[in-house]
Amino acid sequence: MASAYNPIYTDVPEKDVFALHFLQTLSNLRTQNSFSSPDNKTSDRVKKIKKAAYVSMARAAGGTNRLWSRSLLHQAAKRNNKNVRFLRRKRRVTWLMRRRSNRGDPIEDVAAERLRNLVPGGGGMETSKLMEETAHYIKCLSMQVKVMQCLVDGLSPK
Amino acid sequence: MDLTGAFGARSAAVGACREPPGLESLHLGGGDGGFTALLELPPTQAVELLHFTDPSPSSSQAAVAGVGLDVSPPPPPLHAYGALTFPSNAALMERAARFSVMANEQQNGNVSGETTTTSSVPSNSDRVKTEPGETDSSQRLENNRCGIGKRKELDKKVKGSTKKKSKSSEENEKLPYVHVRARRGQATDSHSLAERARREKINARMKLLQELVPGCDKGTDIDGKIKIKVCVCVWGPLISGKRNIVSNTLVWKHGCDTPPPPRQIQGTALVLDEIINHVQSLQRQVEMLSMRLAAVNPRVDFNLDTLLASENGSLMDGSFNGTAMQLAWPHQVTETEQSFHHRQLQLQQPPQPQQWPYDGLIQPAWGREDDQGHGNEHNSLMAVSENLMVGSASLHPNQVKMEL
Repeated sequence: MASAYNPIYTDVPEKDVFALHFLQTLSNLRTQNSFSSPDNKTSDRVKKIKKAAYVSMARAAGGTNRLWSRSLLHQAAKRNNKNVRFLRRKRRVTWLMRRRSNRGDPIEDVAAERLRNLVPGGGGMETSKLMEETAHYIKCLSMQVKVMQCLVDGLSPK
Repeated sequence: MDLTGAFGARSAAVGACREPPGLESLHLGGGDGGFTALLELPPTQAVELLHFTDPSPSSSQAAVAGVGLDVSPPPPPLHAYGALTFPSNAALMERAARFSVMANEQQNGNVSGETTTTSSVPSNSDRVKTEPGETDSSQRLENNRCGIGKRKELDKKVKGSTKKKSKSSEENEKLPYVHVRARRGQATDSHSLAERARREKINARMKLLQELVPGCDKGTDIDGKIKIKVCVCVWGPLISGKRNIVSNTLVWKHGCDTPPPPRQIQGTALVLDEIINHVQSLQRQVEMLSMRLAAVNPRVDFNLDTLLASENGSLMDGSFNGTAMQLAWPHQVTETEQSFHHRQLQLQQPPQPQQWPYDGLIQPAWGREDDQGHGNEHNSLMAVSENLMVGSASLHPNQVKMEL
């Protein structure tokens, strides 16, 4: 690791943290009755597992400290119970839109728009902040992929 | 004597000045009104205020910053802006000389520049003002001075193409975090400067992203092909074949610790496209793995030993220590929950790390599970997670609480 101080803080926890969270959410899934019944459609189960993966990743990566994890958790919460407080993000987005239309590199903006669609919670962010979030998101995603890969390898029949 | 008194404060501040590693943030403490006030003073009085008599933290910090940063060697002998004052006042010069000498005594070693500045003190004002453009390490004091010398600086001819005019100090005050240099010949109005600041921020982050995304700093196809070969050998046919080049290089890069040497930036658009592809591929991988997990999980009748063995092999790599382990965690895991939130709220209990033998860990977990009457798959998953707990480094309680 570099000894120099990185002003852009993008550390992610170790792999075991991610593994822990993912297993927790998976076990939580198992306790739900609808999950283990065999007549359940595979796609539903896949969706649930995927959602569990993302939520656990968001938790492991630092909870609500990061914008993308916060929005992920909010999305998940919204689906679970409908009483989620609606985030007033619309106002910020319109301000940003106006600002972006005034100036800005067209090349960069197009790509930034695509990135915004990919990274959760990217709608209300400035481009520089978006890049920070993307860097952290990429690190966490790769960690999560490693964990899931290990799990699949461990659980698959020999 | 005011000299020693001020000096004591300054030497205390030297240590603090050395600490902040990034020069992006300016600690212009309470000096919001100070600089504009300074601007109205004639130069000598302002300098005097800056160096000696002004007890305000910003100026003392700045003066010390000038002194403190002098010790770390910048190539041109700029030192002690305290010493390089405006040469119009002889008394001030003498005090400055004394100050720099005492600075020598106070700090260690390589302040030869201090003595040279005392000897070369009657430098022309041109030299005094161009030198701020040369070093980046003297930014803070330069901010102090540029408010004073700005008028003269704008008029004089800049030597060399590498010299840069500095941004106005008032603007630095308003943005205490970012220090931006205006380039020579470019407009100095606030809009373009802010725009430039934004660009630089974005470019810095882009560089960071480039390091993360493999294949971003590679130009040729040949490199990509070589990487594909390497990763195929390393990872083999573990993941299904629908992987693009980016993900393959990702595998390789993460397996290897030494990154390849960076190359030129290909262009903003290409870099961003590469990043987007990378993110997409990662998300696709997650989806694929979740599909596989879904397929694997329900129909497997787990044999615990094999499961643990495999988990041992795959997950217990160097990052795991066999140290602490939270016992409170098994308690919570086996409870039935309604939703994710309920579940995570339960984790608020502070985990108590204790050292338990491996067998002893499995038994109580199984005992608890049998009481609750969970299925077999649950047991095996619990065993897997227990296994992780045994081997894993201790989860910080802060982290567990923080995510809620």
